[in-house]
Amino acid sequence: MIGAKRKTIAAERIAGVIGNDFVTIHETDALLTSVDAWPLSLAKIRAGELIPFADIVAYPHNVEEVSQILAICSELEIPVTPVGGGAGSCGGIIPVYGGLHLDLKRMNRIIGIDHDSMVVRVEAGVVGIDLEEHVNRFGYTTGHTPTSLRASNVGGFLATRSGGSMSSLYGKIEDMTLGLQVVIPDGSIIECKAVPRHSVGPDLKQVFIGSEGTLGVITEATLQLFPIPEERRFRSMCFPDITSGLDAIRSIFRAGIRPSVVRLYDETDTAMSIAPHFEVDDESCMLLLAFDGSRERVALDEQQSANICQAHGAQDYGDGPSRRWWEHRYDMYYPSKFLTSGYSIADTIDVVATYDRLERVYWSMKEAMESEGAIVLCHFSHMYLHGGSMYMIFFSSQPDAESLWSTYERIWHAGIEACHKEGGVMSHQHGVGLTRSTYTEDELGSSFHVLKMIKQALDPKGIMNPGKLGMGVQK
Amino acid sequence: MDSEQYADQIRLCASCPKLCRHVCPTFSAWRSNAPTPHGRAILLHYEAVGARNLDDRAVEVIYQCLQCSHCLTWCIPEVDIASIVEMTRERLVSEDRYPSGLDRLKQSVDANHNPFGEPHGTRTSWYVTEGGEVTRIVYFTGCTASYREQSIAVATVELLRSIGYQVLVLDDEWCCGSPLLRTGFVPDALVQAEHNVEVLNSIDAEAIVATCPGCYKTLVKDYPEHGLSIRIPVRHISDLLDEKLSALDESDFSEVITYHDPCHLGRHSGVYDAPREVIRKISGVEVSEMKRNRENATCCGNGAGLRTLFPDAAKRIGSSRIQDAKDVGARVLVTSCPFCKNMLKGQADESLDVFDLPEFVLGMTQRLNQKDE
Ligand SMILES: Cc1cc2nc3c(=O)[nH]c(=O)nc-3n(C[C@H](O)[C@H](O)[C@H](O)COP(=O)(O)OP(=O)(O)OC[C@H]3O[C@@H](n4cnc5c(N)ncnc54)[C@H](O)[C@@H]3O)c2cc1C
Ligand code: SF4
Repeated sequence: MIGAKRKTIAAERIAGVIGNDFVTIHETDALLTSVDAWPLSLAKIRAGELIPFADIVAYPHNVEEVSQILAICSELEIPVTPVGGGAGSCGGIIPVYGGLHLDLKRMNRIIGIDHDSMVVRVEAGVVGIDLEEHVNRFGYTTGHTPTSLRASNVGGFLATRSGGSMSSLYGKIEDMTLGLQVVIPDGSIIECKAVPRHSVGPDLKQVFIGSEGTLGVITEATLQLFPIPEERRFRSMCFPDITSGLDAIRSIFRAGIRPSVVRLYDETDTAMSIAPHFEVDDESCMLLLAFDGSRERVALDEQQSANICQAHGAQDYGDGPSRRWWEHRYDMYYPSKFLTSGYSIADTIDVVATYDRLERVYWSMKEAMESEGAIVLCHFSHMYLHGGSMYMIFFSSQPDAESLWSTYERIWHAGIEACHKEGGVMSHQHGVGLTRSTYTEDELGSSFHVLKMIKQALDPKGIMNPGKLGMGVQK
Repeated sequence: MDSEQYADQIRLCASCPKLCRHVCPTFSAWRSNAPTPHGRAILLHYEAVGARNLDDRAVEVIYQCLQCSHCLTWCIPEVDIASIVEMTRERLVSEDRYPSGLDRLKQSVDANHNPFGEPHGTRTSWYVTEGGEVTRIVYFTGCTASYREQSIAVATVELLRSIGYQVLVLDDEWCCGSPLLRTGFVPDALVQAEHNVEVLNSIDAEAIVATCPGCYKTLVKDYPEHGLSIRIPVRHISDLLDEKLSALDESDFSEVITYHDPCHLGRHSGVYDAPREVIRKISGVEVSEMKRNRENATCCGNGAGLRTLFPDAAKRIGSSRIQDAKDVGARVLVTSCPFCKNMLKGQADESLDVFDLPEFVLGMTQRLNQKDE
């Protein structure tokens, strides 16, 4: 919290820039703006605990307003936390030191599609699904299909290096972004021109992609588009274990095939997610595949992938499980009575590793998290030529709130420690937020120093999202 | 909804990662996380568990809801935010904690039996009596068509006469009570309702027909829920026209027509096909559907007191619906609700004609007659 006098001065000066209607100091607005999809926040809300909220919330309408607001906050040394869709899963928007919540939802213009280059320019506050539906009308897809598509916005995707379930083919948001506009803390507007590639020094936009609001505010982006595929086909293959499943996946990629979806469920996740709808043997592991492209190409890729899977001992389940997952992919995120009753929590640690250590990371994390009493299920969710990510889902229920909070912390700690021990990287797509902030230094090792120097250079007063990415923790 | 169900629903919704927010019209009007299903549920959950009372801003958030139930279409656990909001408003009114901006509406309905502050004596000023037809039908006109959209009332009577009805329009019809029910003034609404039931039950007619889906829903759902029953069947005009109209032989209408589903008719009453069928029969044109249609249709912005309290936000929602119509290339936007028509027409420009269903049908019939002549 920033003190009443500074709060009043800041609110008045910001109102001078964007108008009284778009600045608020109401606790109700501030509190609701702080709620993202971090399971710990939501569990605390269920338990009747107030979560931290900002002193002021502002809703700018354009980049000039963002620029002037940041200049004011710099001058007054007020913490600024950008807010995207507010569906981040690790507490990234929680303003731990109060200050200003800069909510970008009003910056929701789709500026235009360049049909020749097949790119779209958008403001940061455009909600994912609105963008996708808009470009669909012109025969395109963004190819970005995270399950937070309905709530997260472009700025949030970029700030967290988000990845959709089809990233094997279309890439993650950092691959899809050709140009970027950012406002840095002193109020300067930075443009990184939209080009497919360049060789003029380092790719500076990548400094901001994934910076989670700690280096500046992303205000606009130019994103790739793809033609809506002529055909999307689904195939499902059931393996006796994850080892054979992972071997098959590697072989598919090595054969030059790029499925759009590659998801391998471990035996617990197969039992929980697939078995209620399809008959599967105990201890088997289901692989869900999808293929996007021209009819001929997809038919060929699908057949070749099926052959590879069968050569690795898989049983063919046709399109059923895979298609069903696609059609119901949002369902598992709806709240259920079971998961919201009493003192319960379910969360996910999404990690990534190269193939040589992927399975070790899996076993090690599973064992470590289970030793803290968690029920753990996993699917290998986003796979590539050189490795892939795991979605380690855990669940815990405790008799009271305090036990739940401490158990939750221990499970996370055990999971991250095990991941690091086996050479994994602690997030593939969700980002750092508050859950992983204290592990950032360990994760980045010697390069953490570079991140800190970049932070120091761009944000010398430390106003941007303090307490995140392991930086700016105030005493 | 009993207290246990209420507690379960708001707890569930408070834990949701905003899976319906993208269709919430008040989210799109304010672009803030407060006036959203999830936002409202968090405030109510905090209140229910004793963590935080509803402050004035929270009360305002509860009134920044259209009760359009679009969220429910997207909600697998079936959290009924519209009903939760309505229950909460009833409680806020009983505690005298509602926004003062509603006072005029309430006082006007109490005194004049319409929310517009118009004298009751002019309610049927648009109506020209005419005899001769055989089957008697009561046209429950509703306040909007009586005072603000009289062309709908006139068209409805003309149409009903043209298909053989003797139309009764009642001088002592009062507001159905819907604006008061939706904003929490239940006892005041029931005064209107009881009067209407008494009047309607004293009439000998084949049916009561309503053009306003708000009136229709209130008469067929809310009245019985409050123990009030109407003897004569109540029908919506779209359903009656669908039954009575036969397809026109030849129609050369070539404009793109789209249809806006009113929330009270669509999601709340399950009527989707009848108005579309009427449009097709009478124009020969299939409706070109907007991006969001039927149970997924976006609200026009004109419901549940929103326009009274927050007119700018309500109009933004209306404008965005007009944009949806233009996005499908429509030249004609038909709806089946005087209230929706009033909002949508107000936000449209000359490139888009907006009609209520009876107006459109009458216009098409007249066009055909002129051609025959
Ligand atoms: C149901 C559900 C499913 C999910 N599925 C996926 C998935 O499939 N793939 C995936 O990658 N993630 C997924 N997530 C996680 C999450 O949605 C993503 O991390 C998303 O990118 C966050 O975007 P947001 O707009 O919601 O960001 P927010 O939660 O608003 O913000 C996240 C962080 O980014 C910062 N930030 C936001 N906007 C800006 C900006 N304009 N400039 C600078 N910093 C900014 C914030 O300060 C914060 O630190 C899921 C989450 C949920 C709830
Ligand atoms: S109404 Fe349903 S879908 Fe919408 S936020 Fe609440 S629980 Fe989620």
